[in-house]
Amino acid sequence: MLRSEYTNLSVVDIREGLNAGNFSAKEIADASLSCIDALDAGVVDAFLSTTPMLAYEAAEKLDTNSAKSAQVKAGILAGVPIAFKDNMNLMGTHTTCASKMLADYISPYTATCVAKTLAAGAIPMGKLNMDEFAFGSSTETSAFKLTRNPWDLERVPGGSSGGSVAAVASGMVTVALGSDTGGSIRQPAAFCGVVGFKPTYGVVSRYGVVAFGSSLDQVGPIGRSVADVAITTDAICGRDPLDCTSQDVNPGYYNSVLAAQQKGIKGMKIGVVPEYLEAPGIEREVVKALKGAIANLQELGAQIVDVSLPNAQAALAAYYVIGPCEAFSNLSRFDSVRYGNKNDVVQTAATDLGSRYEQARAHGFGPEAIRRIMLGSYLLSSGVYNTYYYPAQQVRTLITKDYQQAFEQVDVILAPVSPRTAFKFGEVGDPTSMYLSDIFTIPINIAGNGGLSLPVGLGEDSGLPVAVQIIGPQFGDYAIMRAAAALEQCYPDIRRIAPLMDSLNASANGLKSPERGVA
Amino acid sequence: MKDLQTVLREWEAVIGLEVHTELTTLNTKMFCSCKIEFGALPNTHVCPVCLGLPGALPVPNKAAIQSIVLAGLATNCKIQKRSMFYRKNYFYPDMSKNFQTTQGPIAFCMDGWLSLDVNGNAAKERVDVVANKSADSSCQQGGQQNCQLAAVATQTSLGYSTHIGITRIHMEEDAGKMIHVGGTDGRITGSDYSLVDYNRCGTPLIELVTEPDLRTPEEARLFLQKLRSIYLTLGISDCSMEEGSLRCDGNVSLRKRGSSKLGVKTELKNMNSFKNLHDGLAYEICRQAEVLENGGTVAQETRHWEPANKRTVSMRVKETADDYRLFPEPDLAPYDLSDEFVEKCRARLPELPDAKAKRYFDDYEVAASDAMNLAADVELSAFFDDALLNIKNNEKTEGLATPCQALAQPIANMLLNDVVAYLNSNNLLIGDTQLTAAAICELAELRVRDAISSKQAKEVLMMLAKDGGSANAIVNELGIEQVSDASELETVIDTILAQFPEKVEQYRGGKLGLMGFFVGQAMKETKGQGNPQLLNKILSEKLDASEA
Amino acid sequence: MYLTENDVRGIATYARIGLADDEVKAMTIDLNNIIESLKPITEYDLTGVEPTFHPIAGLVNVMRDDIQIDGLAHNDAMQNAPSSADGQFRIPPILGDGGEA
Repeated sequence: MLRSEYTNLSVVDIREGLNAGNFSAKEIADASLSCIDALDAGVVDAFLSTTPMLAYEAAEKLDTNSAKSAQVKAGILAGVPIAFKDNMNLMGTHTTCASKMLADYISPYTATCVAKTLAAGAIPMGKLNMDEFAFGSSTETSAFKLTRNPWDLERVPGGSSGGSVAAVASGMVTVALGSDTGGSIRQPAAFCGVVGFKPTYGVVSRYGVVAFGSSLDQVGPIGRSVADVAITTDAICGRDPLDCTSQDVNPGYYNSVLAAQQKGIKGMKIGVVPEYLEAPGIEREVVKALKGAIANLQELGAQIVDVSLPNAQAALAAYYVIGPCEAFSNLSRFDSVRYGNKNDVVQTAATDLGSRYEQARAHGFGPEAIRRIMLGSYLLSSGVYNTYYYPAQQVRTLITKDYQQAFEQVDVILAPVSPRTAFKFGEVGDPTSMYLSDIFTIPINIAGNGGLSLPVGLGEDSGLPVAVQIIGPQFGDYAIMRAAAALEQCYPDIRRIAPLMDSLNASANGLKSPERGVA
Repeated sequence: MKDLQTVLREWEAVIGLEVHTELTTLNTKMFCSCKIEFGALPNTHVCPVCLGLPGALPVPNKAAIQSIVLAGLATNCKIQKRSMFYRKNYFYPDMSKNFQTTQGPIAFCMDGWLSLDVNGNAAKERVDVVANKSADSSCQQGGQQNCQLAAVATQTSLGYSTHIGITRIHMEEDAGKMIHVGGTDGRITGSDYSLVDYNRCGTPLIELVTEPDLRTPEEARLFLQKLRSIYLTLGISDCSMEEGSLRCDGNVSLRKRGSSKLGVKTELKNMNSFKNLHDGLAYEICRQAEVLENGGTVAQETRHWEPANKRTVSMRVKETADDYRLFPEPDLAPYDLSDEFVEKCRARLPELPDAKAKRYFDDYEVAASDAMNLAADVELSAFFDDALLNIKNNEKTEGLATPCQALAQPIANMLLNDVVAYLNSNNLLIGDTQLTAAAICELAELRVRDAISSKQAKEVLMMLAKDGGSANAIVNELGIEQVSDASELETVIDTILAQFPEKVEQYRGGKLGLMGFFVGQAMKETKGQGNPQLLNKILSEKLDASEA
Repeated sequence: MYLTENDVRGIATYARIGLADDEVKAMTIDLNNIIESLKPITEYDLTGVEPTFHPIAGLVNVMRDDIQIDGLAHNDAMQNAPSSADGQFRIPPILGDGGEA
């Protein structure tokens, strides 16, 4: 029994049902685990490791009658099954970043964002597959497994937070946390038809999240509704004394959603970038979805305003300078001294430290990680620094100004998420074409703004989920929530859980339960 | 090899120093809240940040920034309000992140200077001292920031004075410690493996870089000593060269006297004491001179000073220039220090050694070299200041028109000679002894009144240091106070002269040798405590006066 | 072409990544393609434009107080070490055989 009646529930449903005594947290945890059992290993393969013990411990805390229980139950994520991208430390669990380098790494501490969801009553189900160290847009660079798009198992879920969106889209968990450096939450959310939100840089603490590009990385939630995503953001946002760049942010995300649902968004100014509709390589159904969303927003009383982002086309290049430079430096610590692949180290038995480094890093990192490390190392070298790195940071200033000027005219900007829908495994081969799939998401990371990927139905050509992106001003995320919550109401019929679930429900008893994937 | 004096007559040595100082008096590390402790069990003061675990982020220690601002203010640096941390990327196993967080082109402190007084024997290494000009010590007196007299030695009464530019002081973090196992003497060469302890990793470190304004090994040693006493006075580090919290590397090159073109420099490491700094530089100067005089060229390299063998040896020659891939640290916010921040630091500045020495000299008439020596020692000068305060507050100091001035030099003498010797031989700080400021004042007063001999004073001083108590009480207890009361002695002498009238006659008749007899009788009468000089004086007066 | 195979070997050495000869060849092609795609950066007139190293404008002077917090238990600190001895992280000889100080 897959108990889809539980796995379909929203965050608010779960908390209220739990507090009303309609069901126990253990029942929720059971439902999530059995869904993972049925759908994950060999099917979706979203998880790198599951944490049933931690899940039951958390459930027990919620179910035991005590003062402590009452406190946890009052938490805004009480009883909500959650899972974490595997670049987030959770004490005592594997944190692999989907890399051989960390294949047997056990976290001795917990990331702030993870700790905050647990403090808010969430039930931790496990750690999710990703592109290795988040380098990728399809989750294909994971060293351990391919995660499949629950809408079409032949296709990628997007990336790098592919495991996070696939787990949510298949109903295995209610919400998941991902990280977004150039689109790694929004693009896979679009590919899998769920809501993915990258808050403004600084809204969520990065402490304990393995760094890729320190000035670009931001943690965010993935869920099946704008409300679920907003509540999860409320749980994880705010100043963390352990992250200098984290900011004091009020948890007003869900309130913004409620306000929009009740009062609408009449008079809201929505920016549209005309060039985006004619961007090279953009698919017809993506353009159509965007136009549909514009029409819906107009119907809601919003005002559509053309805006211009003249420097956005340089964002991709700036990103592929800044990202690899920061990554090169961030990944230097993986040297097999304090941690590293124990088997590799024993097997290589290097006779000097230099060879140990070279072997451990060559074996531990996959090709894309090595490419980015090499690129960053080159771009930062003396003489080259002034040709690429420094100007890239100047271009960043120009891009940031573009957004600032645009947001003087509008409240949010509506844009595509990805130029296309989910592609097949191996379909996009060379690195530079893969990089192009992030052209609409990357400028937001460069400028540090927030962006949300909202599913708007299935593409009429591909039959795959299509989404639009809502972008807000820096530290103006509430406006994103308002626009998204209002627009979401225009699509009452779209499924947020992939049909995969139905077929499995139908043949539930006939399906052999594969062993749980543990990395 | 020629000796240093000979070499320095022909060649001018151009020396610059890099001084690394751990801010050991702070509670926590530079970017995490781990405890700073020397000698703890390996890897017991570590956390995700200083171990460089995946996902950890740095947060700077505000007190460390305050400390470096203090250091900058105390060395006449311009405090840079706007600066950033950078990542210096290089692989070395004791640097857990494989990048060091340090500062870029702009450090918190730029463009400072210290004046240096080189006195006595130390001054002999310098051959180009110029006569005192009108501009002489304008630098020392402060205020003038861009002193034109850098490196010029100007004659003073005790030796010479010079001026050392400070390029910058920047903030960074220390690395961990490694042990190399299996090689000889723990050296890296030939070791079978190494062990890494990250307790020290992330300890706040300030690096001061001087201009190449030093000309002799003695100047280098004195500069480092002066800097150390400033840092100790500021209380920002324990500055232990033995434990490595104060470390100094030197750059040295030679040029022919009269030439302004810089020679090729070598970098010297492992000079972990003041003596090693001096001797290492002295050796290297002589070595370079020999190379150059034999028609060779000095290789630009890093050399290691071997104190046991009294030589420097070449470390690995760098094939390519270091490329540290320096870029601004994105995880740390830039700095834009407020005036308030800097002024609050300035308000915390204690009286610095130079000012202290000047006060001892000007206000208390302590000899210049003694004043400098006292002022350079934080504990000793604090004790000395306590003593001065004690004198000021003590109304019983009779008979002295200016008690502070009268007693300061005797107290300074006692502290710098007997007390320092006692502290050194017992490895103590003055605070570890039982000696109090009040007691040393009493003792000085007894000496000034000539109530006890200098030998007795030293004995009493040692007793005070060991067992404490008051100097007067000890002197009373021992019954050693001299009778120096003239009227009392006069009475005694009158009695004796009355007792031996025939001897008085003989003396007056020319038998002057009888003086010894009278003195002996008087000493007998005073039980040996009569002040001999005073007795002699009164006796001669009385015998000669009666004759007249 | 921006990088030769020799350049790529140098970069790999610097980044401490051991690459086989065929990997160097492929990497050289990939890197040159990527660097070509970075061209827009070099074509801007950026005179007088300040760089944005830190995306949050006006964020300055973020510091913490000098208060000690216990770090990791020793065993937790060591648990992931591929090799350790005497409570320390053990590494191969830094200079290797025949290395020179």
